[in-house]
Amino acid sequence: MKPPPFEYFRASNPEEAVAALGAHGGNAKLIAGGQSLMPMLNFRLLEPELLIDISKIASLKRIEKGSSGRWVIGAGVRHRDILVSEVLGNSYPILRAAMTHVAHVAIRNRGTIGGSLAHGDPAAEWPMLALLLDAEIEVLGRSGQRMIEAKDFFLGALHTSLSEDEIILAIHLPPAPVAWGFFETARRAGDFALAGAGVLLETQNGKISEARIALLGLGETPIRVYDAEAKLEGENLNSTNRAAAMEAAKAACQPMTDLHASAEFRVHLAGIMTGRSLDAAWGQAIC
Amino acid sequence: MTFEVMRPKYVGARVQRKEDPRLLSGSGRYAADVQPTRALHVAILRSDYAHALIRSINLDLARAMPGVIDVIDGEALASELKPLYATSRMPGYKPTALWPLARDRVRYVGEPVVAVVATDRYLAEDARAAIQIEYAALPAVTDANLSLTAQSDFLHPEHGSNLLVSRNFSRGNIEQAISEAFRVVSGQYRFTRTTPVAIEPRAYTAEWDRRLARLTLHSATQAPGIIRDALAEVLELNGPSIRVLAADVGGGFGGKVSLYPEEVIVCFLAQKLTRSVKYVSDRQEDLISTTQAFDQTVKAEMALDSSGRILGIRASILGDAGAYSIYPWTAALEPMQIAGFLPGPYQVPSYEADVQVVATNKTPSGPYRGVGRPGACFILERLIDKAAKEFGIDPLEFRRKNLVQPDQFPYKTGSGIVWDKSGFIECLDLAAEVIDYTTLKDNRDAAKAAGRWFGIGIASYAELTGLGSRMSAAPGMPINTGTESASVEIDATGSVIATFGTASIGQGLETTLAQIVADEIGVRPEDVTIVHGDSAAITHSTGSYASRSTVLAGGAAHKAGKEVREKLLKAAGFLMDCELLELEIEDGVVRQPATNKVLSFKDIGRAVYSEMGRFPLALRQELDLRATSFYDPEFGTTTSATHIATVDIDPETFEVRVLRYVAAEDCGRVINPQIVEGQVQGGVAQGIGVALMEEVIHDPQGQIFTASLVDYLVPSAAEVPSIEAVHLEAFAAGTIGGYRGMGEGGTIGAPAAVANAIADALSHLNIDITELPATPERLFRLVTTANQEKA
Repeated sequence: MKPPPFEYFRASNPEEAVAALGAHGGNAKLIAGGQSLMPMLNFRLLEPELLIDISKIASLKRIEKGSSGRWVIGAGVRHRDILVSEVLGNSYPILRAAMTHVAHVAIRNRGTIGGSLAHGDPAAEWPMLALLLDAEIEVLGRSGQRMIEAKDFFLGALHTSLSEDEIILAIHLPPAPVAWGFFETARRAGDFALAGAGVLLETQNGKISEARIALLGLGETPIRVYDAEAKLEGENLNSTNRAAAMEAAKAACQPMTDLHASAEFRVHLAGIMTGRSLDAAWGQAIC
Repeated sequence: MTFEVMRPKYVGARVQRKEDPRLLSGSGRYAADVQPTRALHVAILRSDYAHALIRSINLDLARAMPGVIDVIDGEALASELKPLYATSRMPGYKPTALWPLARDRVRYVGEPVVAVVATDRYLAEDARAAIQIEYAALPAVTDANLSLTAQSDFLHPEHGSNLLVSRNFSRGNIEQAISEAFRVVSGQYRFTRTTPVAIEPRAYTAEWDRRLARLTLHSATQAPGIIRDALAEVLELNGPSIRVLAADVGGGFGGKVSLYPEEVIVCFLAQKLTRSVKYVSDRQEDLISTTQAFDQTVKAEMALDSSGRILGIRASILGDAGAYSIYPWTAALEPMQIAGFLPGPYQVPSYEADVQVVATNKTPSGPYRGVGRPGACFILERLIDKAAKEFGIDPLEFRRKNLVQPDQFPYKTGSGIVWDKSGFIECLDLAAEVIDYTTLKDNRDAAKAAGRWFGIGIASYAELTGLGSRMSAAPGMPINTGTESASVEIDATGSVIATFGTASIGQGLETTLAQIVADEIGVRPEDVTIVHGDSAAITHSTGSYASRSTVLAGGAAHKAGKEVREKLLKAAGFLMDCELLELEIEDGVVRQPATNKVLSFKDIGRAVYSEMGRFPLALRQELDLRATSFYDPEFGTTTSATHIATVDIDPETFEVRVLRYVAAEDCGRVINPQIVEGQVQGGVAQGIGVALMEEVIHDPQGQIFTASLVDYLVPSAAEVPSIEAVHLEAFAAGTIGGYRGMGEGGTIGAPAAVANAIADALSHLNIDITELPATPERLFRLVTTANQEKA
């Protein structure tokens, strides 16, 4: 289990990384935390000519407040940094809760947000969070900088709209509802979830004014359950609309059968995780 | 000679583990840590096919790659060495030729086909990628039933079928028992395939000694003696030409007690190239090529009279051996042990078991902590719970009634195993007391009434440990495993050294053996140097497995230690000019209390070895301070236990949480309670893995899906509750020192206890747990089906 031979280049800024990516036309890979890439190399599932180390690029490590209340988190920020960030915890408390589900401590200490987004694993937390938070992903390529909305970013399992020569610079988070619910069920603590759901609720005068529901591990990409969201707005959470939201989540997902759970079981779990997350978020919203 | 230590000072005490400072500080030396000068590194190309003929192998490109020293395939080896066969005296048994590299045909995914030797492992793996092999695929069989009925495409065509073992056990009249029974409970049980997953993957470093032209194999093995003897045979070497060292081994669990192809390969290459050669398996290789376990389907029925007494048990056991019958344990090991232990600790007047073992295109199976007994216990304890439910008798009472009673020992079971007196009922009572069974049942009923899926599971079992020469570890196997030796000496510096053939696999044996020697001789355990895991240090040994090391090596340590003590006293008595009975020995000092005269071991060692003129000639001729003893417990001894577990199942996600776990065990005299608890806790953790998550999965073409620890799930600390281990010593064991083996028991009881607790939690749905692991997926399906049937 040793990687095939590759060249190594440490980029000192994003532009260098983009230039190196461009020069190798698809045969180069960026490495930051290496938590997904290294196993793939060791299994020889990938044989890149060049690894471009972006872990020393300072501009990728920022956590800062941008314009119009948006928060900008650099692609090189590690899961652990989010877990302990007080400012992010205040604005997006769901992030902290979700980070405790990202694998194990050692992996959270190394893995980066950009890596998780670029890898595009539908069972991972960051792609779902990006979708739930209506995030925009800032990328840089040879043709310049662009912003990609999360809903347009994840195209399939391990497949994103990043071009071969593009690097993620940051994730931009607009203000979001604070009341949250986040549940995953996994075979063991730290495993990829069999199913997971995140919910954000905003209330006005005791009624839901904004609802967001997203699912992970339940399809080729993370999934937003827009149907259910719209139906919750203007109401209290009650057993009828809760059940309807659970059904909507089950209908929205298209999970695969694998060693750990059948598609049928995962659909069932999609409903359960959605229901529990709704309960938790509603409990916070009305207290 | 009596073997009671009169006033044991260290046996029974919580002595700190001698091995821990080195293991915990990263100073252990494992086979992969050995760095011989200019060592070469091996990468193994393994079969991607479960069953195929090898049409051609082209090694030219690989040979031309940078750093490559040699590339060999099965044909190259075949001209140089002999295959090994795990023979057996068992009638009808069919051995399989064991070649280190496949010849002509591959029989499982992961089977070694080509070995590449290069100056480092990276280059070896690069060259491996350049090997070209043309296979002609054959139909693969991965299902034991299909293998049994197959008419063609046999794995070992010379046998004319895939059946490797077929046996029948019978005692009493089972037909009559069943026809006259008041009730018969039955079930078909599936014990799926598992793998040991030691934290240290298998690793072998063959160190070539140019000066002496000799080999030292540093091996991650539990059985240096077995490996030395087998390699001497395969490579046609005499004993001194091959030394097998297992300094530290990072867990075995049975997965490191068989001879592996890679051990032969590195030794062969080191000899051929006159260089040191190293192979370290990675986790993927370990998961697909270390011997796996279980994989049996058992149909069983239990006949009961109107009072709920067991009249008899009938079972048919179909075992899946995987591709080969491994050395030295044979393919019969696991399934035959199920048949042997299925009557369990209960009174079972009539018994019959049919055993069939077939070859399939999967990794060879071999010993695994508990060997056969985890499966036997699971099946039997499920039947017991079903019967108790049928009769409306509390499961604890039902067991108490049917267990072998204290006045019935020695008790001969239906399979011919004889239980010596052990605390069957005492363990049951103790476990119930510790967990407060009566209150627990009330709590369970209240929890269930409140809608929780909460259950209690009991499992009682007995096992035979410390097997002597009259009980084979595997039926009819090619080697006898009935003895171990101890050599104890006090050297010229007055230091105590005790040498054994067993291996240090993390189980704390260095400490427990030192405690025994310390008491026998009169020193502190920390002053006893234990040498083991070295085939050159002993005459013969087989190693550490089958809960035998403490009983056999410990018994031998008592014998040898006592003899050395007598010699020491004789020398001291002469030097101090007093009667031997007047002397006391404590903490390395011989004292005559009446006169307060003292002599240290150092003084005595110097006198015996360097100042021999102080002794008269006659005494000098016979005086040394060393002794070697072998111990053969002849039959072995019975260890028994009752485990009680409680579980909570999430009715929506079907996650199972084990809440409480009590294990009450009679393992005879406890040498070190802390070590016994550690063994029980580790064993139970492993058994919880078997119950809830561990399963090797193949597709019908024989591809293995569980080739990483992302897919093969072992429990982590988060999934294992605090395990309460309690000891009792109900009756003195007949072994020297009174010890019973206890390294495996946790794994035997836990799958059954957890399965019973799950069934109890689901009792409102009348769900039988017949297949482990009880994953959320399986429970989801069981509950969905039960709800549909209800509706």
